[in-house]
Amino acid sequence: MEEKRTAASGNLLEIENLVIQYVSNDEITHAVNGIDLQIPVGKTLGLVGETGAGKTTTALSILNLVPAPQGRILSGTVKVEGNDVLRMNEKQLQAFRGNSVAMIFQDPMTALNPIKTVGDQIAEGIAVHKNLNKAAAFEEAMSMLELVGIPSGRAREYPHQFSGGMKQRVVIAIALACNPLLLIADEPTTALDVTIQAQVLKLINELRVKYQMSMLMITHDLGIVAEVCDAVAIMYAGKIVEYGTLEDIFDHFSHPYTKGLFDSLPNIEDRRAELKPIKGLIPDPTNLPGGCSFHPRCNYCTPECTQGEPFVRQLSETHVVRCNLYRDAGRNAL
Amino acid sequence: MHSKEGCELNKALLEVKNLKKYFKVPQGMLHAVDDVSFTIQQGRTLGIVGESGCGKTTTGRALLRLIAPTGGSILFDGKDIMKLSSAQMRRQRQDMQLIFQDPFSSLNPRKTIAQTIEEPIRLARLISNSDERFMRVLDLMDTVGLAERLINTYPHELDGGRRQRIGIARALAMNPKFIVCDEPVSALDVSIQAQILNLMKKIQRDKGITYIFITHDLSVVNHFSDDIAVMYLGRLIEKASADDLFRKPLHPYTQALLSAIPVPRIHNRPERILLRGELTSPINPEPVCRFVNRCNYATEQCRKTEPALIEVEPGHFVACYLVHAEHRAGEAAP
Repeated sequence: MEEKRTAASGNLLEIENLVIQYVSNDEITHAVNGIDLQIPVGKTLGLVGETGAGKTTTALSILNLVPAPQGRILSGTVKVEGNDVLRMNEKQLQAFRGNSVAMIFQDPMTALNPIKTVGDQIAEGIAVHKNLNKAAAFEEAMSMLELVGIPSGRAREYPHQFSGGMKQRVVIAIALACNPLLLIADEPTTALDVTIQAQVLKLINELRVKYQMSMLMITHDLGIVAEVCDAVAIMYAGKIVEYGTLEDIFDHFSHPYTKGLFDSLPNIEDRRAELKPIKGLIPDPTNLPGGCSFHPRCNYCTPECTQGEPFVRQLSETHVVRCNLYRDAGRNAL
Repeated sequence: MHSKEGCELNKALLEVKNLKKYFKVPQGMLHAVDDVSFTIQQGRTLGIVGESGCGKTTTGRALLRLIAPTGGSILFDGKDIMKLSSAQMRRQRQDMQLIFQDPFSSLNPRKTIAQTIEEPIRLARLISNSDERFMRVLDLMDTVGLAERLINTYPHELDGGRRQRIGIARALAMNPKFIVCDEPVSALDVSIQAQILNLMKKIQRDKGITYIFITHDLSVVNHFSDDIAVMYLGRLIEKASADDLFRKPLHPYTQALLSAIPVPRIHNRPERILLRGELTSPINPEPVCRFVNRCNYATEQCRKTEPALIEVEPGHFVACYLVHAEHRAGEAAP
């Protein structure tokens, strides 16, 4: 297991120039439009954006699960430990999925099979990846249940006998059963109540540290990012518009969209503070505006922003922003 | 607190006393709403918060008699609406409207925006002249920020934010005095959520409407409400002004609930109170404190009888023996 943890570059995940489209009869949905991302070993990256930003499509590409034939990966590489997932054959993928990279889905109500016991569902992956017989795999499934805080005696129960929070724990147990290098959590607590969310986030954090996992946390909630992530990527219309450490993003956010997200949130300390929503709507991904995709909603838009790709500025070693405001400015221009 | 139309200040628009809604289920009686009492002043907003299954939605519907309450009285503008016949109640509801959570399933897919907004005006025979009705529809669309060119579009052509604007326009069509808003922004992205919250605030300022704002999102309810009621398993366990509740939550559940909010900042993060376990069953509840199994402070008394909602500070009500005892001790002291 130890040797599983080392990667040459120090990055467990490296995504480069990824472009993914969904093609239907007469439309092309531009879901992911050239993104670069890295997650260092043992670190957690928060991928933040609103509905339709391309977060889930990005996540699916890491497992090479972008639905075909409508989903098309036009270019790019997705390397986990240096191996390009997009160029693996079916057999390699089977060994890879669930073993090297596992995923927790948003809705625990639909992620589980209603006619199999939770123990069997956890044991399934263990039996395949660890090459164990059924009884031994079930044994291990029971200890996984204990690990996520469910008495192992409940392994023979069915999903409907569990509450939402408990189901999400089962989903986490399935994902962690094979001790993956990278855990992808796609809005893992969105369907849960806030006190249960607190329990589940604490559990994920503890297990991640215990097993030295890297994690991609997909969320729209900046509060959750502040709680569990080391670095943050802000995604808009299929592009990463700002990337940095927690301090970079929370203390020195530099992209107008990132600012807009923070300004839209109610301030818990000052309930009379006015909300300043971002004007307009998320663009239609089948018909993205030219230039910077954010320009129709941006308060800082200049004629330059309506044409051509926006300028990419490395503000510091860790902090990158994609915005023409930084063509001349080296620091926060908002 | 805010200067609303002076003459109507402090006039109670809605007085709810001992409202109950029980559902018969195979295992017994499900106490969805159990002995809930509160008052709302005209032009103000009462937020009702709680987790899934606490009875907040059932309370909202029972208030409008969309489901028949099992017991209790509801005084609206001084009139006991529990005594109204169903025909009288239908007329009464012109003053009492509802905005639904899910703008995707609450609109008729076969009706255009104009037809959807016009329908209640037509059914109530409020305006008989069709040209005038059309003008009224345009006027309402303008109020909620829907462009006139959208008048003949169907719900599926619109995003969630615009659909929710239709829901609001429809609720406003009758010129109501009171609107129950049931999770009106939960299905929306944060940038759109802020637009809708600002719109609803503006409408309240302009028209002096009274709101009940039902949500599980504590930072939203804090921003939006004047007073907040916290529910747990069908019971109202704490009620105070939004300022008092967030500054000094008294009930152990409220304290845990507020501490579980993921705060979008990375410095001075609040300490979290983690709750054990999950909601107990609302079916045939024992007449003891319903929070007792998750409470860190529970005593013998809490397991024997159920605490009543008592005013411990001006305007601050709480149902907890611990707080009641502290309050009595505080009064006895010089």
